[in-house]
Amino acid sequence: MERFRYLSQEWIEEAAKRLRAELTPEKMKHVTSSMLTVYKSCPDGQERALYYKFTDGVIAELSIREGELPEAEFRIIGDYETFAKISRAELGSRAALMSGKLILKGNMVKALSLASVVDRLNKVLATIPTEY
Amino acid sequence: MTENTATCADPYFIDFPKRIHDLQAEMANQGIDVYLGSRLRTLSWTLDAFCPWRSFVVIPREGLPTAFTFVIDAARVADESWLDADHVLGYAPMGGQDQITAISDFIGQYLYNGQGMVGIESGMSSYLPEGNLTHYEYERFAEALPQARLINAHDIIDRLSLIKDPGTINRFREASRIVDVGHRAVYEAIQDGKYRGMTETEIAGLAAYAMRKAGSEWEWSFTGGNEIASGYRTGLAGGACTPATRRQLKPGEPLMVDIHAMFKLGLGDHSHNYLLGPATPRQRWHADNFVALVNQCLKTYKAGTSPSKLADEMMLFCEDGGFAEYMVPGFEHGIGMMGDEWRIGLNDGPFPYWTNPDHVYQPGEMLICAIQYACPEENIGFRYENPILITADGCEAMSKFPLAIEEI
Repeated sequence: MERFRYLSQEWIEEAAKRLRAELTPEKMKHVTSSMLTVYKSCPDGQERALYYKFTDGVIAELSIREGELPEAEFRIIGDYETFAKISRAELGSRAALMSGKLILKGNMVKALSLASVVDRLNKVLATIPTEY
Repeated sequence: MTENTATCADPYFIDFPKRIHDLQAEMANQGIDVYLGSRLRTLSWTLDAFCPWRSFVVIPREGLPTAFTFVIDAARVADESWLDADHVLGYAPMGGQDQITAISDFIGQYLYNGQGMVGIESGMSSYLPEGNLTHYEYERFAEALPQARLINAHDIIDRLSLIKDPGTINRFREASRIVDVGHRAVYEAIQDGKYRGMTETEIAGLAAYAMRKAGSEWEWSFTGGNEIASGYRTGLAGGACTPATRRQLKPGEPLMVDIHAMFKLGLGDHSHNYLLGPATPRQRWHADNFVALVNQCLKTYKAGTSPSKLADEMMLFCEDGGFAEYMVPGFEHGIGMMGDEWRIGLNDGPFPYWTNPDHVYQPGEMLICAIQYACPEENIGFRYENPILITADGCEAMSKFPLAIEEI
């Protein structure tokens, strides 16, 4: 089975393909928002971010960003390894937030209402055969 | 969806943007870049929402305030406040979302390179839910904003909230009307000997039920909601705090009914007293003393007088009547929108954070006319409380329940 290097361009393309195929606008609660997951201490020592843009429940953009990061309604910041553990289902995203391993910036009341959407999103991403 | 659709034509309308604008003008005068409010009175006065959980309001020099409250209540506060959901944020024990991190990050955006002056609310109070910044919170904010200077600035809000606007006054009038509904319900329930077998808690509950039916949001006082005392509990020495107990009402005893209603953060607070018959001539003497004193006190309140001047006059009246030894020599406590209780006026008296006895009342101020009469050796006492609006030549008593001590 083909494996994708985590956060590579190929991984992003596969992620976008799977998310669009599996998450209907209904499942995405017709959300219009944007989110940045910021990966600190990547294996090459760099910091990079995954930018999600949702329009009426459709994933309008999924891209990897470096350097100056775009504005986003929500920003989730953590170590690469923390995100990797979440993707490998070794750590729950909620537990990571509650323990301070992940930092959320943005309106938490709105974030709570979108928590189920993010869970669905993470579940799909976890199905990608990934090399960390 | 919010039902908070007050307009200028609404008698309960308060111009909250103007309040914020006035506060910001004062911040500019004092060089304050951001105001961090934490007192319950400040939250009510700026947000127009009841904040029962630890909450904060961050007010920049320009633009809208943003409130922070425990996430479980943030959506409800946003729904009731004049602010939208983008200006009422929740905090919780999560990375980046705990109150210190979330608020200091938020404040940081209004400081230039992290430098500037942040007004905070510090002090002390005999009122437990006052909400001054705690020592721990102060230290953590100071740590999170190392280049900023934190200064005590609550005087600004205290000064701006001293004179009540028409919307606030009307909210108090309505809360007092509701309290009168509660008093009528109590009277009807206890008259003709129907009080027999009832307990203080039951009286508190039936008053609460009547007031809630009439629109009260809650029996707001932190002193146990509705304060009901019977028998010896009415005459506890110097006492002015009687959460209801399971004590049964008994013939030949006094009954004190001190009930509270809230309407849009305006507070009703009226205490009425009874003698559960048969009353002795001595009990009637005490009761008549008390009613005469209340009448005299209400006639005396007006702009230009002060707590000490009024107390001197009232104590002289009591001395002349031969009952001065039964009096608590204070005749008021402060009042404002929910959370503003106890201290009158500004923090400018000889004892910090207590009422300045020489505070000179101005037209438009509100306070609770509060009178406590206690004769512990005879197990009898009475309490009067009523929100009053100070006017140029007198005062308006908001509760209209007829002043008397009826023998039931």
